[in-house]
Amino acid sequence: MPAAEAAVRRVEGWLFAPGDPRRLATVRIGLGGLLAIRLASGPYAELATQPAALFRPISFLRLLDRMPSPEAVAALQALALAAAVLATVGLLTRVTLPVAWVAALPLVAMTSSLGKVVHNDVLLLLCLVPLLPSRAGAAWSLDARQRPAAGPGPLFGWPVRTAMVVVAGAYCFTGLAKLLHAGPAWVTSGNLRWVLYASSDAQPQPNPFALFVADRPLLAHLVAAATLAVELGFPLVLWRPRLAWLFVPAVLAMHAGIGLAMHLDYWPMAATVLVVMVDWPALADRVAPVLVEERR
Amino acid sequence: MRDQSPPAPTTAGPAARPAPAPRWARWFVSAFLALFVVCGVAGLEAWPLTGWRLFADARQARQPGFQAVTVDRAGRETPIPFRDLPVGYHGDVQVLKSFGGLPRDRQAAVCQAWAEAVRTRGGEVAEVRIYQTLTDVSRRVGDRGAPPARTRRYTCRPGSPDAGG
Repeated sequence: MPAAEAAVRRVEGWLFAPGDPRRLATVRIGLGGLLAIRLASGPYAELATQPAALFRPISFLRLLDRMPSPEAVAALQALALAAAVLATVGLLTRVTLPVAWVAALPLVAMTSSLGKVVHNDVLLLLCLVPLLPSRAGAAWSLDARQRPAAGPGPLFGWPVRTAMVVVAGAYCFTGLAKLLHAGPAWVTSGNLRWVLYASSDAQPQPNPFALFVADRPLLAHLVAAATLAVELGFPLVLWRPRLAWLFVPAVLAMHAGIGLAMHLDYWPMAATVLVVMVDWPALADRVAPVLVEERR
Repeated sequence: MRDQSPPAPTTAGPAARPAPAPRWARWFVSAFLALFVVCGVAGLEAWPLTGWRLFADARQARQPGFQAVTVDRAGRETPIPFRDLPVGYHGDVQVLKSFGGLPRDRQAAVCQAWAEAVRTRGGEVAEVRIYQTLTDVSRRVGDRGAPPARTRRYTCRPGSPDAGG
């Protein structure tokens, strides 16, 4: 199997190639900040008062017979939030980032213990996994102020690229699940029209965006086809990074469309995509000289 | 939006090359991505790993569902306003779907919880009724769907001995 072996080597070579510590730092700051915002604004205290009869636990929360107590939730939320803020500014990053992640896990699991998996924060949690054991605080952090500046190296590439694989995989598997469960009917049948009509009918007022698409069968088929194409095609970004200019805005538009038409708020997923898939330091390096030139 | 550029080629020998990524990192990444891919491809839920089933099924125009209503002493029915209740009550669709499979004491506890929430908002609850519904979303009345066909499936009287469905 020399071809397969060569392919594995190529993937490995890409995944573990040297990387820029500034890019890893932007991912740490972005995802850490996002986690802090979610922890500060999440409905965990309210969920803790849920009657036990309505508890539908997921994963390790099955060990409990009801939501964790309000006291436990408050303590966990304070710990997770403090650790997430410290990890974002890069203080004791190798400790605070794992503590934030571990303490956030049961809190986020509570939001998925109502009977349905909520994918909103899952992508964020999974993209943080490769950062947990990494040297994410080597640049642009309080930790880094006490050390000489780190240059590009093999310790800084794989955490970011692993997170990129997770983002690309998440969208690809979402498209794959549609193909496996619904097949081509997801696009060719009235599926999207019925989804949008049902969503509009469930809202207090009819939703003009949902009805605009649902009332036009051809447009509904086109939107469904475009959704599937964007989801299944997203991994192409890993192969051809320039395609991020197409796929990242497309995914953002998709989430914005879902928000407008269905009132489903996927902003943490969209923000995770922006943080992980955009090479912010490289973009800044390109834009900064242009701005300086314009000022002259 | 590009990934890091590969390092510029140098004329230095192997001794000047950066050390490869540590072995533990390779094992860690391989194990994590293997689990991520297996769950994604097979549709397994091992939260936080997930099968990414978001709107994965093809919906039909005729959609089965459930509706829970409270009934006051005068016999007036009012749909339970789940969206206006605390977030812990927002799993109504899933709870209603599995309601028939619950033991009677769990059914009674669910009805009791809903009744208490409605009473806290000032509602009067003598009974909770659960209807099975069939909605044809393709039948439109203006900007709204036609009302669903309903069949009463369960009745519980929260607080009374025959509280279960």
